[in-house]
Amino acid sequence: MIFQCSDLERALQSEELMPDAIAHAETCTACRKQLDEWSDISVAARELHEEWESPSLWPRIQSDLSELAPERRSFRWWQWGVALAAVLLLAAALTQVWPGRKTQPATDQASEDFLTREALRDVEKSELEYEKSIERLSTVAGASLEKSSTPLAAAYREKLVLLDSAIADLKSHMDGNAYNVYLRTQLASLYQEKQSTLKEWLENAKSN
Amino acid sequence: MEAGSLALTQVKDATLQHDSEAALLDACRRQDVGAFETLYRQHGSKMKSVAYHVVGNRQDAEDAVQDAFVKAFKSIGGFRGDSSIGGWLCRIVINASYDVLRKRQRETALIAEPERSGPCSSMRMAINQAMKRLNPKHRMVFMLYEVEGLKHTEVAAAMDIPEGTSKAWLFEAKRELKRMLSEVQK
Repeated sequence: MIFQCSDLERALQSEELMPDAIAHAETCTACRKQLDEWSDISVAARELHEEWESPSLWPRIQSDLSELAPERRSFRWWQWGVALAAVLLLAAALTQVWPGRKTQPATDQASEDFLTREALRDVEKSELEYEKSIERLSTVAGASLEKSSTPLAAAYREKLVLLDSAIADLKSHMDGNAYNVYLRTQLASLYQEKQSTLKEWLENAKSN
Repeated sequence: MEAGSLALTQVKDATLQHDSEAALLDACRRQDVGAFETLYRQHGSKMKSVAYHVVGNRQDAEDAVQDAFVKAFKSIGGFRGDSSIGGWLCRIVINASYDVLRKRQRETALIAEPERSGPCSSMRMAINQAMKRLNPKHRMVFMLYEVEGLKHTEVAAAMDIPEGTSKAWLFEAKRELKRMLSEVQK
């Protein structure tokens, strides 16, 4: 391309044309002056960047962000409560449906859903052992949990109360439905949740 | 150790913890406060300067950056990563700065005179004065590109404009500044 003075304005808007403009400016005083003025503005502009130390700024931001983070945790507690309520409602609904099925002739599917007497004894024995081990864990964690007055401890206590109440409810539903596999599975998952909650609290207490 | 090299070391340390921008972004999306500290180390200085050029003083600029980080923390889930995170943060801090400016104007019913910081070269002072007379959008593009060193893609993301518009407005801003500066010199 043969660069002419009239191309300079276009070159100032296009990085691609700039090498040609610079080459042309080596022999053209007027264009060199224009390019120098253009470049002087960029150089002076960089001096306008403001830089100063703000030692307290990040701690302020960090404090704001940390306050926001527990909101998510409490939201999870809330979600957990709703999930528990849903499980209990479902369990209650199932206990209404299943007794009616007892009078119907047994099918292969039904025999798979209900436990045999022997299997039930095994399950109850395991459940009892599991329950005892969680109670032992609960005794260990309970002492430090009761002592702590932090909002986190309060949240853990609230969750454990919810879990205990859900476990008690499920057990009362199971009184007339000892062979109900679904209710037993739900009970096991509630115990599992209680176990992991207690463990989580103990780990938290240890790290603090 | 000088403040500049200390800051650089902190940025390097922070980057090591999140070995790519994608990993950093993932951690931010999980609302990991440490990941936001990395963002602060990487972009905080630029954000403070951008805010300063909108609000005109350091205290309000810091308030705007603080607000911007809270907003970024809350809305990081909506950031798709189409543009650079630096451009996205600039956009948030510009909006936060205008919010702070509006709040201050309501409080004092006066537009505060910008602080003067350090010795000024005559060219710098002249450009600073001339910038105030620019079209606000052109001024913002000039400030982000020439003063803060953002790329046109980042300016475009920060101002929600096409990249071509960023280039055109930058040209208009510089042409206008050049005209105003030559008038001053006459």
